[in-house]
Amino acid sequence: MSVVDSVKVVVLLFVAAIMQVSIFAQVHILGGMPDVLLVMLVAVALLRGSVVGALGGFFAGLLVDTATLGQLGLTSLVLTIAGYWIGRYGETTGRDRFHAPFLSVAVVTILYSVGLLLVHFVLGERAPAGAMFRGLLPAIALNLIFTAPVYALVRRLLRPFDRSDLATEVQLLG
Amino acid sequence: MAPPNRTARVAVLGSSVQRSRSKKHAAGRARNAVLRRLILAMLVIAALALLTVSFRSPTSGVLHDVQGTGATALRPFQIAAGRVARPFRDAYGYFQGLAGAKSENTKLKRELRTVRAQLANNDAGALRAAELERLLHFEGSPSYPQDFRAVNTSVISFPNGPFGQQVGIAVGSSSGIGLNSTLVSADGLLGRVTNVSKSTAVATLITDPDSAVAAVDVKTGVRGIIKPGQGTTLILDRVSKEKKVRKGDVIVTQGTRDRRYPDLYPYGIPIGVVLNTGTSDIASFLTVQVQPFAQFDSLDSVAALVATKRTPKRP
Repeated sequence: MSVVDSVKVVVLLFVAAIMQVSIFAQVHILGGMPDVLLVMLVAVALLRGSVVGALGGFFAGLLVDTATLGQLGLTSLVLTIAGYWIGRYGETTGRDRFHAPFLSVAVVTILYSVGLLLVHFVLGERAPAGAMFRGLLPAIALNLIFTAPVYALVRRLLRPFDRSDLATEVQLLG
Repeated sequence: MAPPNRTARVAVLGSSVQRSRSKKHAAGRARNAVLRRLILAMLVIAALALLTVSFRSPTSGVLHDVQGTGATALRPFQIAAGRVARPFRDAYGYFQGLAGAKSENTKLKRELRTVRAQLANNDAGALRAAELERLLHFEGSPSYPQDFRAVNTSVISFPNGPFGQQVGIAVGSSSGIGLNSTLVSADGLLGRVTNVSKSTAVATLITDPDSAVAAVDVKTGVRGIIKPGQGTTLILDRVSKEKKVRKGDVIVTQGTRDRRYPDLYPYGIPIGVVLNTGTSDIASFLTVQVQPFAQFDSLDSVAALVATKRTPKRP
């Protein structure tokens, strides 16, 4: 990935993280809250692969934990894994599929929420599973609404790799 | 039956299959896979290390200072984002308010009549209380609001999910804010500061599952503990079934302190109004549902209280 692309990814995730903690964290619709940062990370990871996804997740998580003076590393841990996993999906089966961003956002929203719940539980903190699951469906719906515009923006800024650049799997000859 | 006449097309993973790229390319891909996993492992270990250090000392230490510096650096961006969003939020609030404006107007007019009558009684009572305190040479704790300096500020981060009811505010220790400083809005009690850096702080709201506020019914003197309830409501807990609490009673902070939190919640900060009460044969306490005065879902400008009068220490 070029330096220009790296700068673009950093700026996109920075803006998304600031918007998430300052604006979208206050938006509650039917008990759900949109997570623009997660949607942005999914878009970046799908277009730039697992390593960028993991690094982006770590960076975005650090920003969120720093801005909210929360426990450092908590959001980073979950977003790193989410970014890596979506990146792998983008590198393999999700490549060039129209539904890939939508499917990824829906699945990652569930896994991210469950992941946070687990980490809080392991740390011995309050982990209200009921409240989390009640808000899950509206959160998925809200994130899916944001998916199309966010993915379009990221795709415009980060040009998808040419097919020939991507690793090909084993081919049959003869 | 004729034998199947197929050409020997070897399975994908067969030994004689030819690959599209050279062995060198395959080795490069394997190396990339190892590198990719190595990066993931390093990031996960780094996150776990940060989490461990942060968990062990959440409000002090080098990492906390670094985090505070980072939060200070991010503060202008958060404030800018809040300002950009404010017109949209105001417009949403305006249209939402229009929906129930007429019925709310009628309700408020009714409340205003009641409050006016109460105000006259309260003024008379306050005059007598001041005289009695002077006669008795009564030395009390700092009382709200006259013995507190309000540090007005804006909210720069909001609760992120159901796991914690915490907000970030744009002032910190440089403005006199300390741990357990009380946070209020124009409407009533919001919570207390639980993490502070030089120029930002985090306050835990009274809607947090771990929050407990000693409170009193100003009309009947019944005491209890305010805890989060269902939805946006609160519960006045630990109220004996023999006590009388009526719908419409105002609940304020009780102002008691303990050894750990000497400055916790001064007396008299409005918390909310009793919505309804209930009980059952098997319950030990009354169930008192309280509607908070503060609008927790639309916080914008808030004030952190700094005592201007010395707080008496526990013996």
